[in-house]
Amino acid sequence: MNNNQFQMTGFLTRFTLKKDRLKLLVWAVVLISLFVGVASKFTSLYGNQQAIDEIIKTLKTPAMVSLFGKMPKDVFTSADVFAAEMTVFMAIISCIMNYYFVIRNTRGEEESGILEMIQAHSVGRLANLSATIIESFILNFGIGLIYALGLQFANLSGTDLNGNFLLGFGLASCGFMFASIAAVVSQLSDNTRSATTLAYLVFGIMYIARMITDVTDSHYTWFVPLGWVEKLSTYQQNNWLPVILMLILSVILVLIAFYLNSHRDLGSGLIATKPGRASASPLLHDPLTLFWRLNRVSILVWFFGILILGMTYGSIFNTIGDIVKTNPMFKQLLSTSAIDNANLLIVKQFIGMLMIVFAVLALIPGISLINYLKKGEDKGYLEIIHATPTSRLKLYGSMIFISVITVTIILFAGNLGLYLGGNAVMKQNLPLEIFQRNLLGYWPATMIFLGISACLVGWLPKLISLNFGYLIISFFIQYFGKLLKLPDWTEKLTPFGYLAKVPVKDFNPTTFWFQLALALILIVIGYVGYRRRDLVIN
Amino acid sequence: MTTPTLHINHLQKNFGKFQALKDITFDIYPGEVFGFIGPNGAGKSTTIRTLLGILKASGGQATIFGKDVFKDAVAIHSRLAYVPGDVYLWPNLSGGEIIDLFLKLAHNKHTEKTDQLIKAFQLDPTKKARTYSKGNRQKVALIAAFSTEADFYIFDEPTSGLDPLNEEIFQQEVLKLKAAGKAVLLSSHILSEVEKMCDRIGIIRQGKIVETGTLQEMRHLTRTVVKVQTVEPTPEIAALVGVHNVEVNQNGSMTLAVDSEHLDSLMEYLSKKQILSLQATPPTLEDLFLRYYDSEVQTNEQ
Repeated sequence: MNNNQFQMTGFLTRFTLKKDRLKLLVWAVVLISLFVGVASKFTSLYGNQQAIDEIIKTLKTPAMVSLFGKMPKDVFTSADVFAAEMTVFMAIISCIMNYYFVIRNTRGEEESGILEMIQAHSVGRLANLSATIIESFILNFGIGLIYALGLQFANLSGTDLNGNFLLGFGLASCGFMFASIAAVVSQLSDNTRSATTLAYLVFGIMYIARMITDVTDSHYTWFVPLGWVEKLSTYQQNNWLPVILMLILSVILVLIAFYLNSHRDLGSGLIATKPGRASASPLLHDPLTLFWRLNRVSILVWFFGILILGMTYGSIFNTIGDIVKTNPMFKQLLSTSAIDNANLLIVKQFIGMLMIVFAVLALIPGISLINYLKKGEDKGYLEIIHATPTSRLKLYGSMIFISVITVTIILFAGNLGLYLGGNAVMKQNLPLEIFQRNLLGYWPATMIFLGISACLVGWLPKLISLNFGYLIISFFIQYFGKLLKLPDWTEKLTPFGYLAKVPVKDFNPTTFWFQLALALILIVIGYVGYRRRDLVIN
Repeated sequence: MTTPTLHINHLQKNFGKFQALKDITFDIYPGEVFGFIGPNGAGKSTTIRTLLGILKASGGQATIFGKDVFKDAVAIHSRLAYVPGDVYLWPNLSGGEIIDLFLKLAHNKHTEKTDQLIKAFQLDPTKKARTYSKGNRQKVALIAAFSTEADFYIFDEPTSGLDPLNEEIFQQEVLKLKAAGKAVLLSSHILSEVEKMCDRIGIIRQGKIVETGTLQEMRHLTRTVVKVQTVEPTPEIAALVGVHNVEVNQNGSMTLAVDSEHLDSLMEYLSKKQILSLQATPPTLEDLFLRYYDSEVQTNEQ
């Protein structure tokens, strides 16, 4: 190449690392402390064979397999449990991290016009993309190395050197694979939003595909790239083949991204922006309709995404709710109706676990919507609206309204999916009461989260992202609390911890009204702050 | 005198310890175009955002149509139109959709006038805002503002991205507003534009209004540049009160600056020396501006 396409890659890599250093550090610290922290706790939790056997029974149920991945056949040590339980989960978190950095540093820089200024210098056309890819390589494998060393020091019984490095580098290559997916997607779409949506669509399809193959026939999981991390067989066969596969796929994807990047104009994507209407439809006339217009695609994607996720989970209810399959002895011991009841109970317990997943997923768009009252201000989108006779109450109220509706319909979509999917495969019909309990139980708790965001927007707009942190912590406590045997008080740190165990138990009306009232109060307090503060914050 | 549309009295705004606005005082009357000029970071946009109720004043008063700009923002805004300095539009909406949205939010409708403006500014309203240049984004906001029925129009550096043809259209539209008796606040860096259109001017520096008045009045406050050639020598000229920067040109003429209030005495002196040629240039707004700007540099250096 006479005209080097990679000119200044080294400089840009150093610059990018320097620019992102704080964010890189925070992600790395969170991931590492999560991974190593759990590892060091595992010895005390699952130190003896009895405790291991107990947890294995739970983890081997199809419900847990669908969430955490397939357990190996013979589990002997606490290291086996750790690897089986944490691998898929850590892969998901690393996917979020890699999507965030890569899309932001490629398409994001391009969209904001920063890349244009960089490209005007003697900088190769592929230098920015290369720098981003090198950055994510360093990030993933840096974290992977510390994972391996951490496991080495965590002294978990049953680990070995080969397995520790396999797990560390396996997760690192999985993360890097997601970085390369994001790199390709960033070339396809001409804006950050649809690039992110597209990237998560790819992830969602892979996640659902691996879930189905894991529950039915886990050999097919080999066909799903996300499933390769499950095939590492850490501490058992210690198979390095998936690592090689993930790296090969990453290289192919990176080459595709390079090809696309060097064959397109700056600022454009393969999926071009279509022209729009010459005038507004009558449905676009006030803040509420504007917020709907701006977010309708993402709200609909969330709705149908969660609906499909629900249906997929529902479609494995027959496998989950079949105790006879797990233990044929039951058939002789229990009557048919007793078996049906026992089966239903298992399904209900599984639905209870899924509800926390749906609630958290529904809150991601819900909180982002409310945060727009700050972000839209920062980006200048709302300034002209403030000059029109639109009151702050109307702006605030419209956003809270659309956010509440979004969370509500997504929660509903998850339950509808479970209902449709479950009834399609189960011999006995799922009682509607289950879903009523779910919705009534979880809805007010999600409203508290929206209330917190509303309060932050009104009083501490610089800290609006904190609520996402709270949401992640709440999810972690609810999801892993039992497995990690966290103390009981931790559960009371989150609104979800106060719910009766729906749908196994009936929902608690007192909690319902109490939480709803709290949410309302938070929203009102938020408005008081929003009404009187500066809208543009320097 | 009629009641002012905009009345600002000792307005102050602090961001934490930083005093963005220290003392802003001026009025704008119906049928008047008020030019608001000052260097970058002097507080022009902060003043305008405070007037719009986006920021809450820390001290002083500001009223529009006699109402408090923060408390009665909604009522005020039903008779007000605004174009910000940096226009940011939702990338996935088209220009046409955004124009209509702004009109509807202001309780106005898309009229024939709107179509005329779209045509005059040569905007393609079907394009998504993502694909617009800075100038095109400004046109969207300008078209929405000019087709809004209002009594007070605020423009914050509205023409910085426009080409000369569109700038001309902008100026025509502003003059139409003026003729219709509307009040206009025009913040601008394009001094020729301000000079051409504004009835009165306010100069802001470091959060203070340092000067308000008509251009005519302001000229009195500054120096006239005089180029003169006389038959007799004029040795005492540099010592005259109010005369500055005397330079002798190659052809024997002199260039000097004189404070406007001392123009009289200079003329009296020169007339005794048999004037051959005389050329007096009144100060442009640019000179005025640079003078204030320079003195800022000086204060900064101190």
